[in-house]
Amino acid sequence: MTAIWTVAKKELLDLFRDRKTVMLGLLLGPLLMPALILGIGVLAEQRMRTQLESTLELPVIGAEHAPNLVAFLKGRNIDAKPAPKNPQREVREQTWEVVLRIDPEFSAQWRDSRSAKVELIYDSSRQDSKIPVERLRAVLLEYSRTVGVLRGINRGTSPEIGFALQISQRDVATLEARRGMLLAFLPYLLILFSFIGGAALVIDVTAGERERQSLEPLLATPASRTAIMSGKILAACLFGTLALLLILVAFKLSFQLAPTRLQLIDVSLPVMAQLLFVLVPMILIGTTLLTLIAASVKSVKEAQSYMSVLMFLPIIPTIVLMVNPIKNQLWQFAVPFLAQNQMILKLVRNEVITAQEWSVYLGAGFGLGLVLWLLAARLYHREKLAISA
Amino acid sequence: MIVADALRKTFPGLGRGQSRVVAVDGVSFSAADGEIIGLLGPNGAGKTTTLRMLYTLMTPDQGRIEVDGIDVAKQPTAVRQRLGVLPDARGVYKRLSARENIAYFGRLHGLDDDTIHARITHLAKTLTMEDFLDRRSEGFSQGQRTKTAIARALVHDPRNVILDEPTNGLDVMTTRGLRGFLRNLRDEGRCVIFSSHIMQEVAALCNRIVVIAHGQVRAIGTPDELRELTGLADLEDVFVRLADLEGEPL
Repeated sequence: MTAIWTVAKKELLDLFRDRKTVMLGLLLGPLLMPALILGIGVLAEQRMRTQLESTLELPVIGAEHAPNLVAFLKGRNIDAKPAPKNPQREVREQTWEVVLRIDPEFSAQWRDSRSAKVELIYDSSRQDSKIPVERLRAVLLEYSRTVGVLRGINRGTSPEIGFALQISQRDVATLEARRGMLLAFLPYLLILFSFIGGAALVIDVTAGERERQSLEPLLATPASRTAIMSGKILAACLFGTLALLLILVAFKLSFQLAPTRLQLIDVSLPVMAQLLFVLVPMILIGTTLLTLIAASVKSVKEAQSYMSVLMFLPIIPTIVLMVNPIKNQLWQFAVPFLAQNQMILKLVRNEVITAQEWSVYLGAGFGLGLVLWLLAARLYHREKLAISA
Repeated sequence: MIVADALRKTFPGLGRGQSRVVAVDGVSFSAADGEIIGLLGPNGAGKTTTLRMLYTLMTPDQGRIEVDGIDVAKQPTAVRQRLGVLPDARGVYKRLSARENIAYFGRLHGLDDDTIHARITHLAKTLTMEDFLDRRSEGFSQGQRTKTAIARALVHDPRNVILDEPTNGLDVMTTRGLRGFLRNLRDEGRCVIFSSHIMQEVAALCNRIVVIAHGQVRAIGTPDELRELTGLADLEDVFVRLADLEGEPL
């Protein structure tokens, strides 16, 4: 036990004397991440606002067939523009977000009180066109409904006959949840940072120490190899926790100081404390996994080549959830990365985390950390570990 | 007191299907307390591997080692407590001062702060390292690094001292000082084993010399005994003859 603490203290002293590395490790995240999140938040908000409120320029093919419709659109802040030569190509080339085509038969169909045809040309794979298309569709439906009702009244029937269904929408996303959606990538950033934030240090204290050939004398002392390794892991975990703490403080401050409309998540002290607590198992898992890697490879360079794969790991659940959203289930709290993702989302959405979920989460997180620790300890006992050349 | 008995160590050959490389093959010798034993051999003879087995970093494939009567295979930790080790790679932490480097190892040996302080004062005096004791070791000269590593190896006052090529890269005066230091260790009744590839170096210090080549012991004896054995007067010639280096390409 004394040996573990001795090693941890030495590693931290050694690290903190390396000013530049410490500054980069501790301050880069807290400075960059809030800027990134707030910056993207501002951009998204501005974009949405302009798309919703500004005048929508809409090329209309065959505007002469339906002057009333064009006038109605104008009244709803949608300006008709002359028809493009090749509407499909221009939409695909993103010259226009959406083009409206009015059928040449429109006026004839209109006069006969049949359903008159209009066509929307847009590219559904473009995120950008979503709001304008929705806007146009809503206005067209409104027009259709208004005219339909008038026709019904003219013929002495109740307008309600024309609507077998009356659809009203109620979005059950609470205000907090909707804000949480905007921050879909917040969990990824936090998980990534706790997972490999201290990677440089972890790789250095095992693979780097071996490369500098100081591991051999160290392992010739009576301190057990497991104790030496545990001391190094402890040092890295403490450093990782400190770095994470600074990030959370930076988050709290930047969300509190941001304009009101961007105060998107609950950054109260209890939530922040829980966030830290949720991410501690991630620090342990990352540190033990990297120690495992660093003890099994031949050089620092080789250990670093694993980094790109490790960076990808935390984003997998985010992608899976994006493509295939699933309900919260208990087993999810046992799957690394997915579990952290769910926990963080619950926290920023202000949802209740049950005692059962907490215990599964912590049990699985620390359990995995322990398994990795045992595996790394086994590797530390290999003869090859101490010999660098 | 260190006894090595029929040590053998092989390493896997590089690449697929390569046969194992025999690094050490049946090495036996013993080193008594109050004696300096020199392991003499050309580069790649198996000196470092032999020493690494002595200080428990490697396990021999065959053979056994005893330190003060303790079997290395059975009680490696107890053995490490009785050994002071200067490995081939000095591995001094450059962001720590010489004093911090030594104290770190003292703590790993389970010493308390007062003992560590007293030992550092003593070692700094005998190794003449007072002027750089509290400087960070980044930028240390080779001699300063070696002294720091030796002090670190001896912080727990071990009965047995193993040094891998201790005079490597040192200038004349530092080497002389180091020789005096090693003689002191011997006169204090410690068992000292060191390796070298320089015959004069070994002859100047050792009670007995173990000549190693190609992983095997070629001869053991005092410098005079080795001269007698080969019938040669010049120590370098003795070494070349014993290590069977005459036919080797330069």
